[in-house]
Amino acid sequence: MTLVELKPGQIGRIVQIGGLGPLKRRLMDMGVVPGEEISIEKTAPLGDPIEVRIKSYNLSLRKNEAKEIQVEAV
Amino acid sequence: MKKTLADCRLQIDEQESRQAAVKKEKSSVVIAVAGNPNAGKSTLINAIAGTRLQVGNWPGVTVEKKTAFFEYAGQKITLVDLPGTYSLSPYTQEEIISRDYLVHEKPDVIINVVDATNLERNLYLTLQLMELEIPVVIALNMYDEAEAKGYRFDLEMLSSMLGTTVVPTTATRGAGVNALMTAALSAAERSWENRPKPIPYGDDIERTVDAVVRGLNRELPQALQQYPPRWLALKLIERDQTLLQLLGMPADSHIISRATDHLRTAHGEDTEAFLADARYAQAAGLTREVLRKPDIRKRELTETIDAVVLNRFFGIPIFLAAMWVMFKLTFDLSKPFADWLGTMVSGPFRRLAEALLAALQAPAWTASLVADGIIAGVGAVLVFVPVIFAMMFFITFLEGSGYMARAAFVMDRAMHAIGLHGKSFIPMLLGFGCNVPAIYATRTLENPKDKALTALLIPLTSCGARLPVYVVFIGTFFSAHAGTVLWSLYVMGIVLAIAVGMVFKRTLFKGDAPLFIMELPPYRMPSLRSLLIHTWEKGKHFLVKAGTYILAVSVLVWFLLNMPFGVEDKKDSWMGQIGQVVAPALSPLGFGSWEAGSALVAGLVAKEIVVGTMGEIYVKKSDEEKKDEPLSIGEEFARIGTSLGEAFIAAGSNVVSTFGIATMSAGETEEKTKERMPLREALRQQFTPLSAYAFIAFVLLYMPCAVVAVAMRHEFGTWKWYGIAFAYQMALAWTVAFVIYQGGTLLGMGG
Repeated sequence: MTLVELKPGQIGRIVQIGGLGPLKRRLMDMGVVPGEEISIEKTAPLGDPIEVRIKSYNLSLRKNEAKEIQVEAV
Repeated sequence: MKKTLADCRLQIDEQESRQAAVKKEKSSVVIAVAGNPNAGKSTLINAIAGTRLQVGNWPGVTVEKKTAFFEYAGQKITLVDLPGTYSLSPYTQEEIISRDYLVHEKPDVIINVVDATNLERNLYLTLQLMELEIPVVIALNMYDEAEAKGYRFDLEMLSSMLGTTVVPTTATRGAGVNALMTAALSAAERSWENRPKPIPYGDDIERTVDAVVRGLNRELPQALQQYPPRWLALKLIERDQTLLQLLGMPADSHIISRATDHLRTAHGEDTEAFLADARYAQAAGLTREVLRKPDIRKRELTETIDAVVLNRFFGIPIFLAAMWVMFKLTFDLSKPFADWLGTMVSGPFRRLAEALLAALQAPAWTASLVADGIIAGVGAVLVFVPVIFAMMFFITFLEGSGYMARAAFVMDRAMHAIGLHGKSFIPMLLGFGCNVPAIYATRTLENPKDKALTALLIPLTSCGARLPVYVVFIGTFFSAHAGTVLWSLYVMGIVLAIAVGMVFKRTLFKGDAPLFIMELPPYRMPSLRSLLIHTWEKGKHFLVKAGTYILAVSVLVWFLLNMPFGVEDKKDSWMGQIGQVVAPALSPLGFGSWEAGSALVAGLVAKEIVVGTMGEIYVKKSDEEKKDEPLSIGEEFARIGTSLGEAFIAAGSNVVSTFGIATMSAGETEEKTKERMPLREALRQQFTPLSAYAFIAFVLLYMPCAVVAVAMRHEFGTWKWYGIAFAYQMALAWTVAFVIYQGGTLLGMGG
C-alpha cells in the first residue's frame, strides 16, 4: 500500500519509493529511504498536505507526493 | 597503476601544501559554513560574525549569500555562509550553489552545523561534506535542547569515528562559539593534512570507487587533479549529470559502466539510491554508537502546540488571527515612523536645503531639482525603510520560530489550487499593505518557480498607495455606496490574481509543480540578537541597493515634469506630452484626456501620486499656497524631536487601540476632504461615474510602481519579471477598464 493509505498513528515501514528524478532524490535526501519506519501524524485542515514522522523528525508533503511511497504495516 | 596514482597524489599533496602555506601568509583563512536548514546555522553565524556580515546574492540566482570579513585571534578570516541543504546532490539551487562553491573555491575549512536533536539526518550531509577532502569541524548545535530532551552524546567517540573535531554549541546563547572558531582555525592551519579520512561505504562501493579512479587515471587523468578523486568517483557512480557534462563524459561512459557492473547487478540500476542508502546506513550506525536517547519519548512542547495550531477546526482561524496580528504590526507599527521620516524630509530638511541653495544664489531650477527631485527621492526611499524593517523582523521571527512552515502547511491546499505554494500566502497578504515588502517577503519561498509566480501576482493585491485614488473618486462619484465600491475593487484584485495564477500555471510555469516536501521543525524561540542582526542587514541592504534606483527614478520624473526648460503649462512638459501620446489609447476606456494620461504615467513613481498629479493639473495653482511660517533652525530641530516622540506614541496606540487596520482605513481627515474639493469639482466635469469606475479599476491593475520594479530587480537579479508583470498588467488593466466602460455604456449606464 502507499503512505497515504496508512491510518493516522499506524506505523509503516518504507518498502520502495516510486517516481523518478527530483521527487525520489529529495525524499531520499531527507531520510525517506526504504527500511525506515514512518507514520502519519496529521492531515492539514483543508485535507492536504499531510504531516509524517520519520527518523525522529516531522516532515510535511502533499498527498500526491506521498502516493509514491510504498509502505507495509509494521 | 595504483602506485602511480598514489605517487601523483603525493605530488599534489606537496604542491598543495606549499601553495596553502603561501596563501596563508598573504590572505585570510576561508571558512565555509554548511548545514541542514533549521539547524541554527544563521544564528550561529550571527553569533560568530554579528554585524560584520554582508548580505548579497549568489551570482545569477536569488539565493542569499552572506559573507563576513574579520579578524579572530590575530588571523584574518573570510566566513562564507552556504545555503542550508539536506544533501549535496545537485537537485535544488541551494545544493548546486553549495556544491559548486565547495568544489571550485576550495575553502580552507568547513564548519558543519549539525542539529544535535536530529543527529542521524544531519550526519547524512556531514558524510557528503567529508567526501570533498576539505577539513570539517562539526558544530553540534542546539546542544542544550538535545540535553534537555535527555539525549546523551559520546563526543569523543563521534570525533574519533569521523576523524574530525566536534564542538558542542548552543548558538542562541553564543555557547561554544569560541571553541568552535579555535578548532576551525587549527584545522585550517594544515588544511591538506587535516582533510578527513574516507569513511568506507562498504566493500562493494569501495571496490567500485577504486575501479572508477583507475579508469579515470588511464583515460581522464586531468579530472583527478581537478576534483577530489574519491568524491569524483562517487559522483560518477551516481551518474551525476552536472559533473558528467563538466567533464564531457557521456552518461554511458565505459569507464563508469564497466566499473559499476557488479554494483548494478548486485544492487539494481539506481546506483544513486544505493549510495544514499549506504550513507544513511553509515549515519545510522554512527548515531547508534554515539547517542543514547531516553527510553520513553516525552510528549514534546511542539506536539502540544501543533495539536492546537494545526487542528482541523482551529488551524485556519488561528492562522488567520496570526496573520492579522502580523499585518497590523508590520504596517501600523511602521507607518507613524514612515510619516515622520516623510515630514522630516519634505519639511525641515527640504527647507534647510532650500535656504542653503538660496544663500548660494543657485538658479531656481537647481533649487527645484534638489528639492523636488533629489530630496523628494530621498524621502521616497526613507518612507519604505520602517516597513521593510518591520516586515523583515516579523518574517524572520515567523521563520525562526518554526511557524512559517506551519503556515505553509495550513494554507498549501488553497494556494496550490492557483499554482502557488503554501508559503506564498504571507507575501500575498503583505501586498495589501504595500507591494514592496511583499516582494521582499517572497524570499521565504525556496523554489524559484514558486517565488517568481508569487511575485508576479502580488501587484494585483491592492496596496495602501492605491487607496487615496479610490477614496477621491469614490467620494466624488459613489459616496452613497462607498463601502461596496471599495470592496468591489479589493475583490476584483483577488479574483483576477486567482485567474491570472491559473493561466500562468498552465503557460509560463507549465510543467511539474515544484515539490512541497518540507520539514516541520520544532518550535523555537529565536534569539533577539539574531533577529535584530538579520533585520538590520536587510534594511541596510534595501537602503543602499534599492535606494539608489528609487532616487534615480525620482530625479527622472522631475525631469519629465520640468523639461523642456522653463516649461510653464504642465501640458507642454515632457510628462504632459507623454500624456497626450497615451490619451488616444485610453479613450476607449472612457478617460482619454492628456490629464488622465499624465496622471497615470506619473503613477509609475507610486500610485498615490496619481491623485497628487491630478490635483496639480486640474486645479489651477492658486497663488496663495499655504506656507508655514518659517522657523528658526533651532525650532526645526526641536520639532524633529517632538514629532519623533509623537510617532512612537502613534505606533503604540495604533497597535493596542483598535481592531481595524489603521493603514487601510479609507477615511480622510476633514482637512484633506476640504483640500480636495476643487479637485472633486474638476473630476465631476471630466468623468462620469462609469468612466470613474473604469479609471479606478485601471489604477488597481496597471503597471506596478517603480519601487516594486526596483524590489523585483533587487530580489531576482534581473528585470525580466518586472517586464512580464508590466506587460500582463497593462494588458489586463486595459481589458478590464475596456469591458467596464464599453459594457457599461452598452447597458446604458454611460450617462
